[in-house]
Amino acid sequence: MVKSFYKPDPVISRPQNTSMVRVSLIFVGVALFCFYFADISITTHDPWLEIDRMIAGVFAPDFLATSAIGDALLKTVSFAFIGVAMGAIAGFLLAQIFHFRVVRLLCSFVRSIHELFWALIFLQMLGLTPITGILAIGLPYAGICAKVYSETLDEAQTNALQAVPYGSSIISTFFYVRLPEVWIHIVNYTTYRFECGLRSSAVLGFIGLPTLGFYLETAFNEGNYSEASALLITFYILIATIRYWLRPKLIGFYLIFAPFLLGGGADIQVGNIARFLTVDIVPAPLRESSLLDASSWIDFFYWTASLINSQAFPGIIATVVLTQIALVVTGFLSLAFFPLISEKFLGKYGRMIGHLFLVVIRSTPEFILAYIFLQFWGPSMLPAIVALSLHNGAIIGHLMGRYSNEISLRPDHAKAIDLYGFEILPRLYGQFLAFLFYRWEVIMRETAILGILGIATLGFYVDSALADIRLDRALFFIVITASLNIGIDSLSRYIRNRLRLSRTVQHNSS
Amino acid sequence: MFQLINANLGYKQSSVLTNISLKINSGERVALVGESGAGKSTLLSAFQSQMKNKAALIPQDLGLVNNLSVFHNIYIGRLNSYSSVYNLLNLAWPQRREVGKIKPLVERLGLVENLFKPTGELSGGQQQRTAICRALFQGGDAIIGDEPVSAVDKHMANLIMETLVEKFTTIVLAMHDVDLAIKFSTRIIGIKDSAICFDQSTMNLTRKDLDFLYKH
Amino acid sequence: MINNVPKINLLKKSFSFLMLALIWFVLSSPLSTAKASDTFVFTAIPDEDESRLRQRFNKVAIYLEEKLGVPIKYIPVKSYAAAVAAFRNDQVQLAWFGGLSGVRARTLVPGSQAIAQGFEDQAFFNYFIAHYSTGLKRSNKFPMKIAGKIFTFGSKGSTSGRLIPEFHIRKNLKKSPNDVFKKVGYSGNHTRTIQLVQSGAYQVGAVNSKVWENEMKAGKIDPSKVSIIWKTPPYPNYQWSIRGDVDKHWGAGFKSRVKEILLNIKDPTILASFPRKSFVPASNSDYQPILDVAKAIKLID
Repeated sequence: MVKSFYKPDPVISRPQNTSMVRVSLIFVGVALFCFYFADISITTHDPWLEIDRMIAGVFAPDFLATSAIGDALLKTVSFAFIGVAMGAIAGFLLAQIFHFRVVRLLCSFVRSIHELFWALIFLQMLGLTPITGILAIGLPYAGICAKVYSETLDEAQTNALQAVPYGSSIISTFFYVRLPEVWIHIVNYTTYRFECGLRSSAVLGFIGLPTLGFYLETAFNEGNYSEASALLITFYILIATIRYWLRPKLIGFYLIFAPFLLGGGADIQVGNIARFLTVDIVPAPLRESSLLDASSWIDFFYWTASLINSQAFPGIIATVVLTQIALVVTGFLSLAFFPLISEKFLGKYGRMIGHLFLVVIRSTPEFILAYIFLQFWGPSMLPAIVALSLHNGAIIGHLMGRYSNEISLRPDHAKAIDLYGFEILPRLYGQFLAFLFYRWEVIMRETAILGILGIATLGFYVDSALADIRLDRALFFIVITASLNIGIDSLSRYIRNRLRLSRTVQHNSS
Repeated sequence: MFQLINANLGYKQSSVLTNISLKINSGERVALVGESGAGKSTLLSAFQSQMKNKAALIPQDLGLVNNLSVFHNIYIGRLNSYSSVYNLLNLAWPQRREVGKIKPLVERLGLVENLFKPTGELSGGQQQRTAICRALFQGGDAIIGDEPVSAVDKHMANLIMETLVEKFTTIVLAMHDVDLAIKFSTRIIGIKDSAICFDQSTMNLTRKDLDFLYKH
Repeated sequence: MINNVPKINLLKKSFSFLMLALIWFVLSSPLSTAKASDTFVFTAIPDEDESRLRQRFNKVAIYLEEKLGVPIKYIPVKSYAAAVAAFRNDQVQLAWFGGLSGVRARTLVPGSQAIAQGFEDQAFFNYFIAHYSTGLKRSNKFPMKIAGKIFTFGSKGSTSGRLIPEFHIRKNLKKSPNDVFKKVGYSGNHTRTIQLVQSGAYQVGAVNSKVWENEMKAGKIDPSKVSIIWKTPPYPNYQWSIRGDVDKHWGAGFKSRVKEILLNIKDPTILASFPRKSFVPASNSDYQPILDVAKAIKLID
C-alpha cells in the first residue's frame, strides 16, 4: 500500500511534463474564473413536451418525409466537392508562396472567418447562387490548406534533393522529389478536409443553400423530428461511408459532374458586387460625406467607439468566456471518450458501439446540438458549452483513441483505471494537449456561429448587423472576430512551441 | 578535375578533416577507405560541391524518393535534360521512349520486375541498385558514390563495379570492402584520425597494406 | 493480379451505376433547368413554418402565372435579411414583406413600391404571450410585470416579432429590452416563439397575431401552457412590394397589372392560407409610421 505512494506521478515523470501539467492547470483555472461570469442558469419549466417529441422522432425516422432528400444529399456532396477542390487547389498554390508574410496574413485572415459568415457575406454580394456556397467553403479552406500543405512540405524529407542533377528546373524538382515525399500526407489531409467540407456544406443549408441543412433547419423549426432524424441519419451514413465512395479513381468523375448538380440560382450582377465593395461595407459616417471633411472622421471615431463599447466589447468577453470553458470541458470529455474506441480498454463490440457514438456526436452540427440543449435548459451559455464540448470532445477522443491503439504495452501491464492513469494517459498526454490546442481556434470560430442562436458572442452581433442590413457594422465585427481568432491561433502556437508538442498533428486535427 | 589545398572540411565550426591537400585527375578511379566516421563522406561532399554539374552522385542514404517507382527514381537522373512539361508528362504517364532507355539498365542489374514498384517497397539492396541505375542513366564522365555496394551480395557488387567502370571514366567511391576497392580502383586514399594517411596507386597493393587503417 | 479482377468489375459496375444515377438526377433536377431570364421571381419573409409558406406561395405562383402569362417562380429564403438582399440585388422582383423589411427594402431600392396589403394589415396587431408559470393574466393595459422575466422576440428583422414589441417595451418601461428583462432571446420566427414559450424555455414572448391564429387552428397550442396577456395597438404591416424597374423588363404597365391581379385574388383557399380577408391597395406612405418607429428605436439610421 505504502509503496504506491512512491510511484512517480505518471504525468510528471519527464521534465517536460511538469510544464504540461502547469499549463493544463492554468487553463482549468482560467475556465473556472470564466465560469464565474458565465450565465449557465437552467430556466426551462416544461421541456418534456418537446423532448418527448424529439425522442419519438429519433426512434421513428421518416425517410419519405422529404421528397428532396436525394437531391439534397447530392447537392451537399457536390458543394463539398467543388468547394474543397477549389480550396485545396488554391491552398496548394498558396503553399508555394507561403513564406511571404503577406500571404501568411491573408491566409490566416480568410481562415479565421467561419464558413457561415463567408456565406452570409457572399449572400449579400452575389445572392443565393451556387457560387455563394462554393466560395463560402473554398475561401476559408484555401487558407487552411495553404497553411497545412506548406507545413507539410517544410517537414518533408529532402535527402533525395542532392541526387537531382544540377540544372533541373524548380518545377520538375518539385513534382519529382518534394511532392511525392509528402503526397500521402496531403491526400490524407485533403480527405479529412473533405469530411469537414461535407459538414460545412450541410450547415450552409441553414442560411438557404439547397443542401441537407436547408431541410434540417425546416424540419427542426417545424418540430418534424421524424424528418429531422431521417436527415441526420442520412448524413451520418454519408460521412461514415466516405472511404467506400471516395475512391481516387472516381474523384475526377465526381468533379466533372458536381457542377451540374449544384442547381441554378439567380444571376450574378457585377453592379451588386461593386456596390457591396464600394458602398455597403464603408462605415456609415464615411459613406456620403467627403473623406477630406474632418467632421466625418470625428463621426467615424464616435461610430467606432460606440460599436466597441456597446457591442464589440461585451461580444469579445462572451466569446472568450464561452471558448475557454468549452475548451476545458472538451478536454475532459475527450479524455473520457477515447477509451470507448481504444483496443486497450474495450473489446470488438464495445468499440463498435463507441465508434457509433463518437461518429454520431461529431457529425451532428454543433448548431443542431445547441438547439436541442436549448430545449432542455432554456437560453443560457449552457447549451452552447455542452454542444461545443461534445462535438469537439468526440473529435479529439476519436483521434486519441486511434493513437492509443498504437501504444505497445508490456505483457504485465496494469488493468482498467490503473492502465488508464499510469500507462496510457501519460503516454498520450502530450498528443492530447497538442490536439486540444489545435482545436482552440476552431472552438472559438464555432462560438461565433452559436451567436446566431442567440448567445451573445461576437457572432450574435454580426448576425444582428446583417439582420439590420448594416453591412458596415457586420464587417466591423467580422474583422474583430477574425483578429481575435488570429490572436488565439498565435497564442496556441506559442504554447505548443514552448511545450514542444508535436508539430505534425495538424494533419488530423485542424 | 578536382583539387583541395590546405582545406578544412566539416560542418560549420567543427571540422572533421583538417589541412587537406588533394588532387584527383580525370580518368582516375579512386577508392576512399577508412573506418566509418573517419571523414569519407565529408570528403565526398567536398568533391560533390566542386563538381556539381559534372558528376553523378550516389549519396549514402541513396537519395531515393520512396513514394515514386523505380522507373521515376531512375528518370530523376536526367531531370535537367528535358523540359518541365515533358517531365510532368512522364511523371503522369511514363513515356515509352524513356522506358525504352531505362529498361536495359534495370535488366542488367536485375530490377526489371520491380520497374513500376515504389522504391519504398523494395529491399535495401534493390534500393541501392535503383540509385546506381539513376547514376548510370544520368551518365556523364564522373561518378561520386558513398558506399554504393554496401547492401548487395558479392556477385552483384562485382557486376555493379564492372558496370560503373565501363560507363564512367572518373570514379570516386567511398568503400568499406577493401578487396573490392583494390580490385576496381587505380588509386586508394586512406583516412584516419581526421587526416589523409595513405594515398597510393593500387598497383601491387594488398589487403594487408591497408589493415593499419582499421587498428587503434 | 487474379485477385483484382472481381474488384475491378465491381468498380466498373458501381461506376456505371453512379453515372446513370447522376445523369438521371441532372435531368430530373428542377433547379438545373436553365433559368429563363424572363422568369418573374418572388419571395417572402420566412415568418413562420416553411412548409406552410411553400404551400401558400406556390398557390400564389400558379395564380400569378395564369393571370400574367409569364413564368413565375417562388423561392423560399431562410432569413428576413436574405429576402431583402434578394430584392435589392434584383434576384427577386416582388416580395411579401413585413412592415419593417418592406421599409428597409424600399429604402435600399429606389423606385420600388408597396402595391398591395392584406385587409387586416391596415390595422395589424400583435400578442404578448406568457407561460402559465409566470401567473400573468390577460389585460388591456401593457403588462408592466413582464420586467425581469426571460423574454423572446421573433426574428431580429421582424416587425411584429421585434420592432413593435420593442417599441412598446421602451415606451412603457422606459428602458431597453436588455435592461428590462433578465434575458432576451430571438427565437427566429413566430412559430418557434410560441413553441419556446409553451415549453417554458422563455417566460414571455411577442408573436404575430395571424401566426398565433394559424397555430391555434392547427392545434399546436396548448392553452393551459401558454396564453395571450396583451394585444398591441394597431399598426400597418405586411405588403407586396415590387421593384421599380419591372416595367423595363416585362413591358410597360407590368407593374400595374401585377398590382391589379394581386388585388383581385378572390380564391378562398389562397386568401385563407395567408390568412387574409382580401387584398387592398397600399402605398409607400402607408408605412411612414413603421419607418418613424424604426428610426426612434434606432433599427434604421
